[in-house]
Amino acid sequence: MKIKSILIANRGEIAIRIIHTAKKMGIKTWAVMTAAEPNALYLSEADEVIDFTENTSEVPPFLDVERLVEAAVKHKIDAIHPGYGFLAESAYFAQSCENKDVIFIGPSSDAIYKMGNKTIARKIAIKNKISLLKGSTRPVTDAEIAMKEAEKIGYPVIIKAASGGGGKGMRIVRKPSDMEKNFRLATSEAEKAFNDSTVFIEKYAENPRHVEFQILGDKHGNVIHLGERECSIQRKHQKLLEEAPSPALDEKLREKMGNEAIAIAKAVNYSSTGTVEFLLDDAGNYYFMEMNTRIQVEHPVTEMITGIDLVEQQIRIAQNEKLSLRQEDIKLEGWAMEFRINAEDVQAGFAPNTGIIKRMVIPGGKNVRVDTGFVEGAVIPPDYDSMIAKLIVFGESRKKVITTGLRALGKIDIQGLKTTVPFFKAVLHNKAFVDGDFNTSFIETEMQSLFHQEKDEEMLAAFLSLMDYLKEVSDDSELSADKSSPWLFNKRMKSI
Amino acid sequence: MGIFNFSKKDKAKYIVLGNRKYTFEVGDEGMVKVNRVNRDIAVEEMTHNRFDLLYKNRKHRAEIIEKKQNKYTVEINGNRYAFSIETPISYERKKMLEKKSGTSGLVVTAAPMPGKILEVLVAEGQQVKEGDTLIILEAMKMQNEILATGKGVVKEVMIKNGDSVMKDDRLIVIEKK
Repeated sequence: MKIKSILIANRGEIAIRIIHTAKKMGIKTWAVMTAAEPNALYLSEADEVIDFTENTSEVPPFLDVERLVEAAVKHKIDAIHPGYGFLAESAYFAQSCENKDVIFIGPSSDAIYKMGNKTIARKIAIKNKISLLKGSTRPVTDAEIAMKEAEKIGYPVIIKAASGGGGKGMRIVRKPSDMEKNFRLATSEAEKAFNDSTVFIEKYAENPRHVEFQILGDKHGNVIHLGERECSIQRKHQKLLEEAPSPALDEKLREKMGNEAIAIAKAVNYSSTGTVEFLLDDAGNYYFMEMNTRIQVEHPVTEMITGIDLVEQQIRIAQNEKLSLRQEDIKLEGWAMEFRINAEDVQAGFAPNTGIIKRMVIPGGKNVRVDTGFVEGAVIPPDYDSMIAKLIVFGESRKKVITTGLRALGKIDIQGLKTTVPFFKAVLHNKAFVDGDFNTSFIETEMQSLFHQEKDEEMLAAFLSLMDYLKEVSDDSELSADKSSPWLFNKRMKSI
Repeated sequence: MGIFNFSKKDKAKYIVLGNRKYTFEVGDEGMVKVNRVNRDIAVEEMTHNRFDLLYKNRKHRAEIIEKKQNKYTVEINGNRYAFSIETPISYERKKMLEKKSGTSGLVVTAAPMPGKILEVLVAEGQQVKEGDTLIILEAMKMQNEILATGKGVVKEVMIKNGDSVMKDDRLIVIEKK
């Protein structure tokens, strides 16, 4: 069945990204309006808008399975695209769509469930001889069992949410005395984020790279990979900068890891876009971490070097088409990087910076793609994540991407909020990064400063302050006190 | 120079304190000495409180974020800097005051970001040491530990579990030991 209409169960840049491909394919799009962002940009891009502004339940709109599926049925919409985050990896949501004959644009609920539950995913990986780090094979229910498991595996260990992803519900424990506190934090964070406090424990690999493979699978048993993405530039397990390909892989390692990624996807009859995440150490050993059963935030870097529209592939697979691409058709050409422009105050340890975007100019152009869900005057709501835009840069070589990237970052003008732009400038000026010699500890170990300062900028800012101040006090009233006699000054000192 | 015109009485020396100390000698129009060296800085006001600064053939975008008497916060190239503007006399006084008062011994922990207090892990009178977790603050769906910056005794706890806090709200006062 050919999909003629799609309900987008998401917001922001990814909703717009999906709409663009849908338009290209002649598919009608429906967007969901919420009370948090009734004037959001994605609504104006869609063909139709469904009003969810009225609060009919305690469940937030983009997590309300019943209401979303019901809306699709009511408006006779063929398919639902979940985007990323929210319900994208909810087996229940996929199942609910399947039950009502609404096409879920993603893998089967069975594949989502198996890969989404990390303990089951580990079992599947073991069965298929995929390399894994040592870890607990059963869910860990209390700190005492956690302690015993950690003893068996050997410190340091990492506590991970069984239903986790996106860095939430993860804690590193280096010694037994830190276990109790971290166990409590991980379980409560997991409960909040995924409605499931189940955790498991794994050996913690020190300073590995994070390398992930983009998978495409159809409903006819064909699975291919579209190369890897290097996502080691992370802070607290949150990706900030991604690139494709990875400077750490050669053709041989790519083929080996790619084949394992395909094997794990095949083991669950995977049929959509998906991502298999690995940790890679200096010696070239790699370990399966998890599979993300959705489109990723960082999918554009793969699109840039393969020329393949991943959302289009998702839609074609969902409507039962066979993959038109074979593994030998996939050619990786050039280099691409993505910079997540987040509303975060890098000078204050990446604290979220919500508020109004007073001004926003992010020039795109040749080799520069900008994916955003916001325009000037928009409010970054505290309800959602802090991403304002994604800047994606392409070039013939990694070196050229860095040069183009610095130029593009320099042209960004965002006022009203602080962003991660000065952070990315610092990364692109960093020698270890330029040399491609970095891992997930890069931010902690390689960066002298988390933000790039242009030469003399503090002096210039000081000068501007002084000029403005002199303009304000030109009547001299403020300064007159300072021109008072030394006698008065001494008297003041004594009174303290 | 354009927008800023100096009268004769401004022709003086000022000290601007940020992360570093800058000495400016403001002269005739367009002339300024920074730390005793002549510099040519062009300032153009784009919109209210937004400026382009041209210096050594490079353009820097800046915005005055906040001003309160002689205290300024300016954002330039996406980074923020706080300054206080002093005359040579006020600067000397400031230095003397700092020397006299020393450190008060009370350290106030403020919220680094807006969020919700999930758990207060210390009580008044409790001993803490550097790195101890004081509070767990949830913001943007992440749990953040707020740690003690030094050894001391908890003097006052201003919040309780479940409270919502704004950025810079005072949370806990610790008396340094």
